[in-house]
Amino acid sequence: MLARRFPEAARPVERHWATGWAAIDEESGGLKHGAVTELCGSSACGRVFLDRAFASVRERGSFAGLVDCGRTFDPGSYEATVLARVLTVFCTTAEQGVKVTDLLLRDGNLPLVLLDLQTMAPRQLGRIPMSTWHRFQRLVEKSGAVLVVLTPQPVVDAARIRIVLHAPWDLAALKRSRRELMPGIAVQIFRRGRQVAATEETRVQTA
Amino acid sequence: MSWYAAILLPQFPLQAVLRLREERQVEPIAVVEGGTEKGRVLEMTGAAAASGVLRGMASTQALARCPALRLWPRSPAQEQIVNALLLEVAGTLSPLIEATGEGLCLVDLRLVKECDWREWGHRVRERLASLQMRARIGVASNPDLAALAATRAEPVLVVQNPGAFLADVAVAEVDAPPELVAVLRDWGIGHLGDLARLSRGEVIERLGPEAGTLWERAAGRAQRELRLVRPSEIFAEAFDFEQPIDTIEPLHFILRRQLDQLALRLREAYRVVAQMTLTLPLDGGAPYERAFTIPTPTGDVEVLFRILHTHLESLRLEQQPIGVRLLITPVIADSQQFQIFESPLRDPNRFGETLGRLKALVGEGQVGVVQLKDTHRPDGFHLVPPQFEKPGVREEPAPSRTLGLPLQRFRPPLPAQVHMRRHLPVMVFSEKAHGEIVDVSGPYRGSGHWWDCGAWSIEEWDIALDNGALYRLSKHQDAWFVEGCYDSPLR
Repeated sequence: MLARRFPEAARPVERHWATGWAAIDEESGGLKHGAVTELCGSSACGRVFLDRAFASVRERGSFAGLVDCGRTFDPGSYEATVLARVLTVFCTTAEQGVKVTDLLLRDGNLPLVLLDLQTMAPRQLGRIPMSTWHRFQRLVEKSGAVLVVLTPQPVVDAARIRIVLHAPWDLAALKRSRRELMPGIAVQIFRRGRQVAATEETRVQTA
Repeated sequence: MSWYAAILLPQFPLQAVLRLREERQVEPIAVVEGGTEKGRVLEMTGAAAASGVLRGMASTQALARCPALRLWPRSPAQEQIVNALLLEVAGTLSPLIEATGEGLCLVDLRLVKECDWREWGHRVRERLASLQMRARIGVASNPDLAALAATRAEPVLVVQNPGAFLADVAVAEVDAPPELVAVLRDWGIGHLGDLARLSRGEVIERLGPEAGTLWERAAGRAQRELRLVRPSEIFAEAFDFEQPIDTIEPLHFILRRQLDQLALRLREAYRVVAQMTLTLPLDGGAPYERAFTIPTPTGDVEVLFRILHTHLESLRLEQQPIGVRLLITPVIADSQQFQIFESPLRDPNRFGETLGRLKALVGEGQVGVVQLKDTHRPDGFHLVPPQFEKPGVREEPAPSRTLGLPLQRFRPPLPAQVHMRRHLPVMVFSEKAHGEIVDVSGPYRGSGHWWDCGAWSIEEWDIALDNGALYRLSKHQDAWFVEGCYDSPLR
């Protein structure tokens, strides 16, 4: 009855996971809890995002799960202290990765799950049934977790939010700090297919 | 008046093997000693006895009398567990207990407040029954009399008048030297009451000091100190199958019963499970053993069983299991109050179970938290079990010390052909990276373990190809590899 009389009060409060990446957090405060976010674009940008996501896990004193499809995750590229908070699962195929993600979401203990499909071939990605993403959406709605699916191209139909990252890189980028790399990445954010935010890449000059 | 109680588990070897399968009590089953084919019957169920099977009978003879008879060997592991359980229960009645024999223990009740011993005996029986043990209890004024009372109890016997009780007890029923029993029989003394009526001095004079001891027992005056033992606080269960098992269902069934029993005991001791060790003796092989650390110690049977169930679902063994042992490491239940900045898992035990499922799905070494090895060798890390159940601590944002783009590593590295010009790579050919190298950074050299047989040395180059892709090359002993990719053009 109260919900009928005061619909505004009954609306659930949206929670967001602040990543610390200004271009992503500015629009709504971060990654939405209880929603599937698809992050696509160049794989290098995806891995820079992973680095930022891991750092945010440490800052929150929380934990995360990384499902690495293709066994290409290189722990040496990340801070050892942040990796201690990340449950890493190496999978050989996209199908296996989907099963692992399903288990982690049903478990409901990890507030952030990252499914990395960036190195998967389009044929493998095409074999993932559409219903999978809808099932994941229902699971995260129930647990309130954040699910980020990293893909080379848009494949997650049920994604409430799609973030497209793009940047041209050269060898000089290998000598810059991660903080310096982020402004160089163009970020486009789509909500239910509609673009809501965009930033242009900024060329960072090396000293 | 001082009181002693004797707790006797009748048909002890049979009780031990039937403890977790009480429903089979109605079947004709005999426990044999010395192998099922050439052994002799030790104990048998009522159904077997009704068919004419007797104690001491050869197993072939027993089978001839009862063709449906099932012959089971003794199970030392199960007998040991039942004995330990008996002592554990006895230890809760009095600190002064004696492990008199197999399935028999004596309890000194002098420190226990006097009460209605019959009612007390029934309560003890109920407690043992909850642990699936049938007991007879005798209460008397001295230890030997209590033990004798237990053998005649139906099921509880309190000896208020030792003289009257002993009058009907045959001399052969007590533990006396056979020669002495034979002499007394020749004298026409068949019962302890007859012996007690004789003069103690004259009995000793004619038959020696052993007869004096027997006379004291016959008169109900034999007093002795108990050989005190302390019950071991081992929470374990053991079970031997009748034959090697082919399917997992019997294992689940027995494990569930074992956990029920252990949880009951743990509740009484105000303990919870911190670790479970599962051992499966295998048919003709070394036993399989696996320890499970419980992330949040619990006494919840459902949670504990799920952990074992998840593991057994993915377990593949070369030989068939012939039994199952479960050992619990208990801890005192900890009441934890979470603090505002802590971020522990919602359900650590469920998380532990999920980890088990993940391991079953992707393999043992493919799940965990990355721990970098103490080496500069590329890709040196291993996965360790996560410790997420410990309280989390927020950390201040710290600038990342790692530089550049994270690498996408190829495992194993891809063999490559590299053309060099003026000591710099200019062309690369491999499965994934091929083309003209337009920019290069390196070489970055590393080596280690040159002091032992694990010596390694590597030369790494970062390259940019004409299509904009960035790769890492490595050179090991004149062989080139593509170690990974920093960035590749969009597909």
